[in-house]
Amino acid sequence: MLDAGLCNYVVISYGHNAFSSDSMMKMLMDFGGDDGVFGQFGAASGYAMAARRAMHTFHTGPETWKHIAVGERKWANLNPRAMMYKRKMTFEDYYNSRPLVEPFRLYDNCLMTDGGRAIVITTEERARDLKHRPAVIMGMGQHNTATAVNYSTHLAGPTGAKKSGEMALSMAEITLDDIDACEIYDCFTYTVEINLQSYGFFGPGEGEDWLKGGTIEPGGRMPLNTSGGQLSEAYFMGLTSLSEAAMQLMGRCGDRQLGPETNTKAPEIILCSDSGGVSRCHSSFILRRG
Amino acid sequence: MSLKDKYAIAGIGYTDQGKVPDRTALSFHLEACANAIEDAGLEKEDIDGLICYRHFPAASNENDLTSYEVAQYLGLTPSYLSQDAN
Repeated sequence: MLDAGLCNYVVISYGHNAFSSDSMMKMLMDFGGDDGVFGQFGAASGYAMAARRAMHTFHTGPETWKHIAVGERKWANLNPRAMMYKRKMTFEDYYNSRPLVEPFRLYDNCLMTDGGRAIVITTEERARDLKHRPAVIMGMGQHNTATAVNYSTHLAGPTGAKKSGEMALSMAEITLDDIDACEIYDCFTYTVEINLQSYGFFGPGEGEDWLKGGTIEPGGRMPLNTSGGQLSEAYFMGLTSLSEAAMQLMGRCGDRQLGPETNTKAPEIILCSDSGGVSRCHSSFILRRG
Repeated sequence: MSLKDKYAIAGIGYTDQGKVPDRTALSFHLEACANAIEDAGLEKEDIDGLICYRHFPAASNENDLTSYEVAQYLGLTPSYLSQDAN
């Protein structure tokens, strides 16, 4: 509606008392519909089924996902706002966390959060006159691949990240090589892997090799979910990733700021994603420093 | 026409987060929006669009939460309102 001239300044808002009220549980209990009688309810069971199929199709599993859980936790340990700020996690802690819905352990799952997050979007020209150096939207894309996971013919990917990523990169007139950091929707660790794979950062089954050695951690070559993400900071759907990307590009992230503070490249361009359902719909955004 | 480089994020609003008991979902929306507007250096009168994330089932002791309610309590009169379904 900005482009149609209907609006000049738009606020996008998320607010929920998911941790302390029964609202999120009501939503999750209804998530699988009638499949609840077969034991499939909540979001974890659908993603667990997809992850299990992926484990059958290509090389993946806890050995790959531990790098995502621990890597994001290291970022959270630099972010005083993060729910897991003071709680360190080792690979051993990851393996020792209890199974929730196999193959997922507790630490493969995102958080439930009380809180809110909002962003203001306006034209690049108007943004230049405001308080902060803006985070400019270079490209965006959306692709919805399935009705529901039960009916999906592509359980092991690619997800909507593939096409929506191609659309966003094409609009931005860049390639994946130009991306300095990622803020990826991470309801589960596996969600991050399958979406990075679908974007083309690595081939099917190459995730473990790509991730190991601290690729996504502070000091790594592709910092990812630098607030701690939804696994270790807070769950605000796509606004966890979009707000963090904007804050990083504005240079307002303190101890977790990308650049010399964290022995990483000062970011010019960050890829963000949001997804819904169980790999059902996917949005990609590419932001740059204004 | 391409949307490249035409729009930007200009402000971010945070709230307390984690385990924050005795707060309604609405209160978190209101606080986050107010903080984002202030962070951008704007006034509420400047805001003419409001998009709220997912329409969750209301908690047992709360009313249904819509973007109309968020706008009303913030004192906004936006030209465009929307909220994710479901």
